[in-house]
Amino acid sequence: MTQEPTADRPRIDAYEKVLGRALYAADQPITGLLHAMTVPATIAKGRIEAIDATAAQKVPGVVRVFTYEDFSQIKTTPAARGAYGQPGKGHQPMTSPVVRHRGEAVALVVAETLEAAIEGAEAIKVRYASGPFSARMEDELASPEAEPDRQLSSGDAQAAFAAANHRIDVEYLHPQQHHNPIELISTTAAFEDGELRIYEGTQAASAFAGGLAGMMGMDPTRLRGVSPYTGGGFGQKNGIQEQSVLVASAAALLRRPVKLVMPRGQLFHTASYRPRSRHRIRLGADEQGRLLAGLYETVQQNSRYDGFACDHGANPPRMYGYRTWQGSDRIVRVDTQTPGHQRAPHEHPSSYATECAMDELAEAVGMDPVEFRLANDTQNDPITGKPFSSRHLAGCLMRGAEMFDWNRRRREPGALVADNGGLIGLGVACGSYKGSMTAAVTTLRLFASGRCEIATSGHEMGQGIRSVIAAELIEILDVDPTKLEIRIGDTGHAPQHITAGSWGTGSVAPAARSAAMKMREELSALTGAPLSEEPVHVQLARTRRLSLEVTVNTIPLGKDGQVIEQLRRGIPSTTGPEYPEFMAFSWIAHFAEVHVETSTGRVRVKRVVSVADCGRVMNRRTAESQVRGGVVWGIGAALREAGETDPRFGGVLNNDLAEYVVPVNADIGTIDVDFIGEPDFKLNMSGVKGLGEVAMVGAAAAVVNAVYNATGRRIRHLPIRIEDLL
Amino acid sequence: MRSLSYVRAGNVREAIEAFAAAGEGARYIAGGTTLYDLMKLGVERPAHLIDIASLEGADRIDTRGDVLFFGAGALMADVAEDDVIRRDYPVLAESLSKAASQQLRNMATVGGNLLQRTRCPYFRNGAIGAYPCNKREPGSGCAGIGGVDRGQAVLGASDACNAVSPGDWPVALTAMDATIEISGPAGTRSVPISDFYRLPGNTPHLEFAIEAGEIVTGISVPKTAAGRNSTYLKVRDRESYAFALASAAVALRMDGNHVRQAHIALGGVATRPWRAREAEALLNAQTIDREIALAAGRAAFADARAGEHNAFKIELGARTLADAIMIAGGKIQ
Ligand SMILES: Cc1cc2nc3c(=O)[nH]c(=O)nc-3n(C[C@H](O)[C@H](O)[C@H](O)COP(=O)(O)OP(=O)(O)OC[C@H]3O[C@@H](n4cnc5c(N)ncnc54)[C@H](O)[C@@H]3O)c2cc1C
Ligand code: SF4
Repeated sequence: MTQEPTADRPRIDAYEKVLGRALYAADQPITGLLHAMTVPATIAKGRIEAIDATAAQKVPGVVRVFTYEDFSQIKTTPAARGAYGQPGKGHQPMTSPVVRHRGEAVALVVAETLEAAIEGAEAIKVRYASGPFSARMEDELASPEAEPDRQLSSGDAQAAFAAANHRIDVEYLHPQQHHNPIELISTTAAFEDGELRIYEGTQAASAFAGGLAGMMGMDPTRLRGVSPYTGGGFGQKNGIQEQSVLVASAAALLRRPVKLVMPRGQLFHTASYRPRSRHRIRLGADEQGRLLAGLYETVQQNSRYDGFACDHGANPPRMYGYRTWQGSDRIVRVDTQTPGHQRAPHEHPSSYATECAMDELAEAVGMDPVEFRLANDTQNDPITGKPFSSRHLAGCLMRGAEMFDWNRRRREPGALVADNGGLIGLGVACGSYKGSMTAAVTTLRLFASGRCEIATSGHEMGQGIRSVIAAELIEILDVDPTKLEIRIGDTGHAPQHITAGSWGTGSVAPAARSAAMKMREELSALTGAPLSEEPVHVQLARTRRLSLEVTVNTIPLGKDGQVIEQLRRGIPSTTGPEYPEFMAFSWIAHFAEVHVETSTGRVRVKRVVSVADCGRVMNRRTAESQVRGGVVWGIGAALREAGETDPRFGGVLNNDLAEYVVPVNADIGTIDVDFIGEPDFKLNMSGVKGLGEVAMVGAAAAVVNAVYNATGRRIRHLPIRIEDLL
Repeated sequence: MRSLSYVRAGNVREAIEAFAAAGEGARYIAGGTTLYDLMKLGVERPAHLIDIASLEGADRIDTRGDVLFFGAGALMADVAEDDVIRRDYPVLAESLSKAASQQLRNMATVGGNLLQRTRCPYFRNGAIGAYPCNKREPGSGCAGIGGVDRGQAVLGASDACNAVSPGDWPVALTAMDATIEISGPAGTRSVPISDFYRLPGNTPHLEFAIEAGEIVTGISVPKTAAGRNSTYLKVRDRESYAFALASAAVALRMDGNHVRQAHIALGGVATRPWRAREAEALLNAQTIDREIALAAGRAAFADARAGEHNAFKIELGARTLADAIMIAGGKIQ
């Protein structure tokens, strides 16, 4: 056990990826592969009246044109659309002539080459009868749900607000955003060894057995999901995609393997996205700056037919010691595809709104925003009254303030001026993300040769989950990382959970760790003595056994053995943030320095300092890059990104990477990251809480608050663009 | 599969002949960074490609005589990095180095750059949108007007089209009175850049004063002392790799402290590279300060007309021009 657990180690798969050897789902070499292309609907709502495929069928190389008439056997099951918790009524394109959003597939052309498939798709003519629609929450036919999705309250917030000395009442707007992972969403379906294999870059390989098999009326054991690597998921790949069952059905009908890589322009219309949301916040404080009341009402866009909940109210009441709270979250239905989870799905928009509101209240009270937050720190959740498993938010704020030199900040906006005349603004904001875990089944095999194989539940989507597994095995068994094989994201090796919600590390680290510890026990039982300092495989070799295998089921806190059964059946089952004895969250504080050019209003983020409390840090290098990535997302959200919808047409206009503006390198200044590093052993034996999502929570608000400090202007919508500050 | 013939021409004559011989659906291709993009968007469906990327001598950059000469096949990156251009004509070098990305500039030619098409989202979004667009489908209408028009033009729009002319280099060339050298089946001709770009009027699909089969062979720019006191300022939605929301090319020929002649053109705000004569006149014989610079900026936008979301371009454009005048003025020793 010579290696530091938090060591700064390169990613275990870095070389493979840099050399282009890592095979992603769409790279699988499959003989006889056919290529597919979809025909996107050019109306936002209505019915298909006729499809003319004559020209397409004549394109040399086209094998078959599928329309809804070929796919009416596909069943829409509650699991069909995957991971959204509440089963909705669902809508699977191409199972009927009904069109429910612009860009959904109305035909699928399968051909011997990709070029022929594209040409065939372009040759298809569709006649529609289009109906009235609204694609934006603000438009006429948008329909608010009568009942809120969630209501949290504690005490009489209305009365406390009315009686407060200092009050603010503001509304913040968050736009629609699109994940745009670099790996496009693809599906490859092939019958191999008597089973249907679905190769798809996904965070939920088991969704295929669980959901797709049901949709196709297949025996789930004959369907295997394979997600070798995921080239960025961020929640867009955590369910069955609109095209998955279409490709699988095409392969089944043709008895040949079929691949579809969705073009990015179509993904803006078929894949999930972060829905637009509005946040009304009323906060009240007393003369000393104590938070007396929080009232928080949110509305969020959803499709007409699915169950993606509005959940913005879950985190904000846990941030500070509110004396009273009242929150409600509501859906507004519009004619688009179903939105979904996008990195810190609700925590990011809600932290943007509430942490900006906190800045406004600090101003009203006349307190420094860091001081104001410290004054309202709490070790108990105001809603349930339970203690937090661990909370070092104050530590994050204090360490960050020091690293950032927060004392430079002047309360009056525009007081700091750069050499070139630009206005300097400093801002702070905090974030939290629930500490979740899920069950895992792990098989660990040690060979006398020194090789070591582990198969477990979890997906690698660039977050470094392989490196986390390696870190635990190295710490407990001191195995050689170059002789380590890690099999994840494949239901052929272990049952797979949806890897999302920052529970990947908190679930896989204890899984790998307990498997490694069980291996030590079994080995010691085998040798009949406590293990020595010698390498474990040498001790194994001495017993003349070639290998030793252990299997461990890890059951997260507060759950029982049933979760393993659910895991095997592909049913999501996670814990947190509420546990019997406590509430568990990761915490973070972000500090941002912006410079605003006075003539044009251009905002430049010169520096961000972020300090996170994520429990034990498994690998300093991947952890820092997680946080940097989260901060870049926050900057993108604050200043760059928005999906643009034309209410006359629906759909997304800026549907490519040139026009959907994400930050480029030149947009990003210095990002300094630090960690509190206190393990949270109440939550699990590895002491880890999640990091991938909390990294971004509050980052946008820090930038927006810094813009206020520079300009004196409260911009209450995102992104803040040039025209807002001109 | 849609088949495509491809030939690589060795010189201008060969290219023109190959084009004529190919008949319907022929297109020249240089760096391909615009053409392939338009093919993927379904705007272009060429049947024959005549590759002019390696025409003999076409990448010549000549800064020795009375005019600067840029062969149409010179790479954007090579012109942007030319020492003489960077020193004596920063407006030209900057308009290229602030365009696209290094990878694109390494492929794209300064001739092809003149012929890039608009970024209007309705124009580009054929497959999913099938939006009305007179540029794409003459007579189909214009979704850009009255639509999500934040990016659309405030100068030079017609009732048929308000799409922005996207290029940066053409703006700098417009300020510097460039001439486009053209060869065709009927011989050679020179077109002042002010005549090369057309206003949309009722025919927004006709953008350039060049006939099918004609080839741009080069670009000449008269030498002027104004080049040294010049800049290309580009304001966009991010710091790099984006088209202009507003840009200004400014070059000032000075007489002591006074402006003898100003060269000004605007980008990102107009339906063609926009020469701002009113602003130039206003600076004439003046000494440069912030106030006059802003007055010139405002004068350039006196006739601007905005839609629902692009009114900010009028103020932004004026301030961008004012900043550019100050930068160019600041270079005066
Ligand atoms: C993502 C992206 C971002 C970009 N950003 C910017 C930007 O910020 N600013 C900017 O100014 N530009 C930008 N561009 C555009 C880029 O500068 C042009 O695509 C490029 O200059 C075109 O040159 P090319 O040699 O590749 O032309 P090609 O694509 O080869 O040709 C373009 C057109 O011109 C014709 N053609 C080419 N050469 C000749 C010739 N000699 N005679 C006659 N016809 C000819 C072709 O037939 C074709 O129609 C961007 C492009 C992309 C793809
Ligand atoms: S503005 Fe021009 S390019 Fe855009 S839709 Fe209208 S006609 Fe087409």
